[in-house]
Amino acid sequence: MYVILVYDTAVERNPKVLKACRKYLHWTQRSHFQGELSTAQYRALMATLNATIDPEHDSIVAYTTRSPESVQSTTLGQNLGGPGDIL
Amino acid sequence: MPAVGRTYWLTEPCRIRREDDSLRIERPDNTPVRIPITDVRDLIAFDHVDINTSALSILSRNGVSLHVLDHYGNHAGHFAPTDAMSSGPVLRRQVELTADPDLRATIGRALILAAGENLRWSLDTDHLDPALATLRAKLPSCDERDAIMAQEGNYRRTGWAVLDTQLPPWLRLNGRTRRPPTNAGNAFISYLNTLVYARVLTAIRSTPLHPAIGFLHADTDRRRNTLALDLAEPFKPLFAERLLKRAASQKHLKPSDFETEVGRASLSKNGRKKVAVLMREELDTTVYHRTLKRKVSYEELIHLEALKIVRLCLEDKPYKPFRPWW
Repeated sequence: MYVILVYDTAVERNPKVLKACRKYLHWTQRSHFQGELSTAQYRALMATLNATIDPEHDSIVAYTTRSPESVQSTTLGQNLGGPGDIL
Repeated sequence: MPAVGRTYWLTEPCRIRREDDSLRIERPDNTPVRIPITDVRDLIAFDHVDINTSALSILSRNGVSLHVLDHYGNHAGHFAPTDAMSSGPVLRRQVELTADPDLRATIGRALILAAGENLRWSLDTDHLDPALATLRAKLPSCDERDAIMAQEGNYRRTGWAVLDTQLPPWLRLNGRTRRPPTNAGNAFISYLNTLVYARVLTAIRSTPLHPAIGFLHADTDRRRNTLALDLAEPFKPLFAERLLKRAASQKHLKPSDFETEVGRASLSKNGRKKVAVLMREELDTTVYHRTLKRKVSYEELIHLEALKIVRLCLEDKPYKPFRPWW
């Protein structure tokens, strides 16, 4: 599945969330990740994040679709994400 | 090998490091690129890489292999994670089957004929038909490996000569040369053949088969993975010759994509990037598979080929080498 994940967490927990996301998803912007995952990987990521955040204060939203083709996106300004799979 | 995941092509000199249980790739001019380790199927390094133990251990833990190509596009070697796919019965059967001279000759002939027909298919010209007819007529009487390889050599020479007629003068092969390739066309073919070999090796690694126990190349190449060489045979025309022909006709390649010296040639930095893009797009191309009743990518076709050998070992299902059906 294709996952778009955004987080809004307290400053002291940001690094932990960032590190958890980096293991599974591609960084696109500050506090914004996307990438393709299997269902098991998605569940693992969600479990890690759930254990990291403080549910009273933080918020994480993940959008999932079947494939990246089903998402139309437009970028204005800088493209901050990585160069793809040819480096 | 991870179920989902992409091949990452490293076309520039870079440093591979581990960070937060994931990968960080540092390039000389840019900010580091962070790649989620779960998204990596394998890495192909076209240029110098610098890697350390902790990066290797995370590659190994996630079943990622790293292929290293040298300056002239030869397969310099690969880092393979510790075997997670091993299976005694399959391996024992593979050894048994490859020890049988009759079966070896049968499969060898089938592979060479398939490679020949695929070359005819990818060049798409009837200039090659007489040579293919000769190959068809002569192969059944060849029982020895050397005789089979000799037939293949003859046919290939004609094939390359025919390919030359479809290329602009500066890209012509003028006879196949390797180690090092002497001109631009040969350098391109060398790179592509190595990439096919690396893809086949990755596919074999995801099955319990041992890549060094092959059928056709069994005795010639003592130091290489002969099963991978065998299975690469029918796929080489599909990628190497066909992409060279296409890139030439679309004027996609320029003389500046190659570094040509007297008697030797290799791809330049820009050329390597172009080749990586070409190959990646080609591997992602899908065709409808009639038995599986779904679309498969060329990448997956290579994997299916390895699975055919597994079925040969476990179920004695006769092996039919890949032929394009579209």
